[in-house]
Amino acid sequence: MSQLLQVIINGIALGGMYTVLVLGFSIIWGVLGVINFAHGEFVMLGAYTAWLANDQLGLDPFLAAPLVFLFMMMVGFAVQKILVNRVIDRPHLVSLLVMFGVSIILSNGMKLIFSADFRRNDTALDGSWQLMDGVTIPVTKFFVLLAALGIVSALSVFLQRTRMGKSIRAAAQNREAARIVGIDVKKVYAITFALCIGITGAAGALISPILAVQPFQGPPLTLKAFAITAMAGLGSIKGALGGAMILGLIEAGLAIYISGIGTNLAVIASFVILVVALVLRPQGLFGGLRPVDAMAS
Amino acid sequence: MRRLQRILALVFALAMIGAACGTDAESVDNAIEPSEEDSGSSGDGAEDEATSEDPDDSDDSAMEETVGFAGTIKFGAALSETGKFSVEGKDSRQGYDTWAEWVNNEYGGIKVGDDRYEVEIIYYDDESDADTAANLIQRLIDEDEVNFLLGPYSSGLTTGASAISEANGVIMVEGNGTSDSMFERGFENLFLVGTVASDYTKSGIEAMAASGATTAVIAYEDTSFPTAVAQGAIAHLEANGIELLATEKYPKDIQDVSAIMTKFRDLEPDIFIGGGHYNDAVLFANSAKELGFKPDAMLITVGPSNPKLVSELGDDVAGILGPTQWEASMAYEGDYFGTAGDYAAYYESLWGEAPVYQAASATASGMALMLAIESAGSLDTDAVRTALRGLDAEIFYGPISFDERGVNIGKPMGTVQIQDGEIKVIAPDKAAVADLVFPIGE
Amino acid sequence: MRRLVESKAFRRVAVMLSLAVLAWLVVLPLRESTTNSTLFSLTLMLTTIAISINWNLTGGFTGYVDFGHAVWFGIGAYVTAILMTKQTSGLGIGWPAFPAIVLGALIAGGMAAVIGKATMRLKGPYFSIAMLGTFVAVREIVRVASPLTGGGVGLTLPPYLNRQLFYYIELGLVVALICFTWWLRRTRFGSALIAVREDEVGAEMRGINATRLKVTVFSFAGGSTGLFGGLWAFQNTFVDPDIAFVESRTIDAVMGTMLGGIGTVAGPVVGSAALYWLREVLWANFLDYHLIIQGLLLIMIVLYVPKGIVGLFDPRSTSIVTLWSRWFGGESVDAYGSSEDLVQMNDSADSTNDHKTEVTS
Repeated sequence: MSQLLQVIINGIALGGMYTVLVLGFSIIWGVLGVINFAHGEFVMLGAYTAWLANDQLGLDPFLAAPLVFLFMMMVGFAVQKILVNRVIDRPHLVSLLVMFGVSIILSNGMKLIFSADFRRNDTALDGSWQLMDGVTIPVTKFFVLLAALGIVSALSVFLQRTRMGKSIRAAAQNREAARIVGIDVKKVYAITFALCIGITGAAGALISPILAVQPFQGPPLTLKAFAITAMAGLGSIKGALGGAMILGLIEAGLAIYISGIGTNLAVIASFVILVVALVLRPQGLFGGLRPVDAMAS
Repeated sequence: MRRLQRILALVFALAMIGAACGTDAESVDNAIEPSEEDSGSSGDGAEDEATSEDPDDSDDSAMEETVGFAGTIKFGAALSETGKFSVEGKDSRQGYDTWAEWVNNEYGGIKVGDDRYEVEIIYYDDESDADTAANLIQRLIDEDEVNFLLGPYSSGLTTGASAISEANGVIMVEGNGTSDSMFERGFENLFLVGTVASDYTKSGIEAMAASGATTAVIAYEDTSFPTAVAQGAIAHLEANGIELLATEKYPKDIQDVSAIMTKFRDLEPDIFIGGGHYNDAVLFANSAKELGFKPDAMLITVGPSNPKLVSELGDDVAGILGPTQWEASMAYEGDYFGTAGDYAAYYESLWGEAPVYQAASATASGMALMLAIESAGSLDTDAVRTALRGLDAEIFYGPISFDERGVNIGKPMGTVQIQDGEIKVIAPDKAAVADLVFPIGE
Repeated sequence: MRRLVESKAFRRVAVMLSLAVLAWLVVLPLRESTTNSTLFSLTLMLTTIAISINWNLTGGFTGYVDFGHAVWFGIGAYVTAILMTKQTSGLGIGWPAFPAIVLGALIAGGMAAVIGKATMRLKGPYFSIAMLGTFVAVREIVRVASPLTGGGVGLTLPPYLNRQLFYYIELGLVVALICFTWWLRRTRFGSALIAVREDEVGAEMRGINATRLKVTVFSFAGGSTGLFGGLWAFQNTFVDPDIAFVESRTIDAVMGTMLGGIGTVAGPVVGSAALYWLREVLWANFLDYHLIIQGLLLIMIVLYVPKGIVGLFDPRSTSIVTLWSRWFGGESVDAYGSSEDLVQMNDSADSTNDHKTEVTS
């Protein structure tokens, strides 16, 4: 019994971490139609920024996260201005490859600056809370989960209530129609991209005490984001949260209840689910911001 | 405009023809250049200058000094300048260069009969990629016609590289590819100066058994080297009467080990053994902390012997044990570098940082090869191979004597423990500078 | 320029040039000065070229951008390794190399048919991602199936390194592949493939069985890449999941094909060879920066040379120069939409955005 409870706690904690990691990726894909292959590298940039803030200014990563968010928004804005703008109307292969180029440049550039040594960020919010005998709550991940829920609700309110949010949704739905009713689609894209990169960077700051920070940490995170997004539905905030939680719980359960190779199976599971979910239900388990027409005739 | 267009098209066309013939001629020549200019093989004999930070400073005076040598012995190595092994690749390279620097400037060249030979090491960057490493080893053998090969970093790269050196009948001595499977292929030309992976945990487990540990769990990354370490650990646990409660595998690039640690916490073992890479050490330490998993001892394969882990993780790694091939504090001494400490001082004077064991293993590979060449009195592969097999020496790195697999069985594997923020050798007894603290926190 | 490119003389020169390069490649190993190292480099280059050609069959001709193509390479490599080390044949333990390699290719092709049948129902980026997922899933399954595959430790093969033999085998296979694609482009089958790429629904209405067509090509490409995987495994003498299944093999194929010209016969060959050569040069001259420069080049190629090197000789294409002037002329993105690109993938749903469903958040 206590083990089951621990599995659920572990799963939800992992799900919280996946949620912050996947939100930015999912919305960029949903709204701009750009698959951000450099997603993991933006997480890495955010993590390094938070690490620097801690190393130089003594800022706890949870306090640094809002600053990292602002900084990464600027980075996102620049990348959008220089590159993304030019690929939005092109076939998806083009944007994929361009973002892949960005990922190579970022990871190797960071390696030149910071070397390939691993860093870890410290936080005051660490350790464990004993819930009952044999059940503990991981403190850092608990606060990451809180932050994830905070970001999710803020984003939902932003998209539902504000004028800009409504424009974003309109542009995601139908670019041409949005243009006709007078929405500045380019501006909408710029803001969406900057916002999402900001969130992605903040996610990097939040997970920097959990995962070692190093220049080549990006690709596995990008793959994870792929799996959750494609499984749960593009650009759906609900989907990102739901997909991340489901995956977190499945991974935690498999890893605990199957001995020896459970953790291996948990990794396989996310990709098998991805492929099967895509083939059987291409619109994603939760529907999405961008309606999907994935079946070839 | 149209002319420009035509010129551009022409350039591309030339590029494409060049591509077809490229690998043959010019690109190969190009590729060698950067390696030559910064291989540490050149230098000068003046002792005061040899201690300068950058051994490449003194290139111009190198020519005069080489006159004293009867010739040059060419060594080749493919190391990772870029990619996932770039940190260890750099350490290995500094280790090889330390040896070359020492031989050329301090020792006066390798003795072959009555002549003294200069050491030249040709390096390439294998980008941490197996295909590239294989390609470069072939290039070192054919294009650069090296006399002997020094090993790359990591078991994966060494496995591929050693097959090529074996097929071409070139000796490869290495210290940083230790998986047992490599030495079960019956290769004649592959020699390992370090301890083989399956013995990594031997001295640590023996020490803990002596302190009263009775149960253990193992988690290891499912790749070649950690698997070999874990299989060795299972055997050593059994030999020492410690009961193994559970083993867990996990894949590369794992992001969460809390499930493994939850399971282990509920089993309440005395010892936790974790095998994998540096990031895993961070994950294990974090995860144990956040789940309240407190075994009496934690032995983690890669990480504890690296000062960077201690400086990054601080108190979270207090008391953690780790295997080490070599530490500067070990009580080994040889005729050449002097003690382990002397070697560390020399290394630091060259590179401005203390040597990690990967660097010491690299230097020791060069030393072993040098000793064999000198005792053979020739550069002939068969003679040197025989000499390597018969080698029985002690250097700063420890005793060296190879068994029929080509593995150094003279040197035991050391174990360190992080005590008060310092890395201290606790086993084997001969090299220990501190006592094992068991359980942690007492 | 246009007249020059379209002229018969130009074509004749191009063909003669190719034949000259081929003749040179055939004679090369017989020269005294040619070392095993050169042959090995060229063999690796031929492998890259072959994967690009195969990738281009689906990615370029049918428009299905496969982001997990390297999975077939890994499967070919593993089947070969397993047969050679674990299975018994009439001659004792371990199959001889060449039957093992051929069977590896067949199994890779068969698996491609099965998986392609499921994933090719998806289109645009969804297919790409499903294949990327397949790639990672297969790699991890291989890692778990340790009794058969040796798990993460992998399998070691008996070292038998005859560089010259493998060079000739791969050279022959690559030439055969080039001829095959050239021939394919000229058959009804080939035109049907292009029709599927341009307008799948329309093609079906004209009586083309699009699914069977796509899956057949996909399976052939998978099998062919598997063949090279088997050859590679035998030469590398060692397979483990992380070196048999490498993302960069797919990425190199995509980059090479894009550089040369996607959807053309010569594109993947020219592009991969150029890429291989370019890397050597970059690596030799900018050791620390070579990957960064490679990333920049990738972006440049994709943005400014969308039709690749071969496209520069295509009179109907926008050349690098006109694009260049547009860039500095400061024209907006809309000025060069996808309409003139051959690269047009069938992700029209993705780029036109005519959707009807409700928004969720």
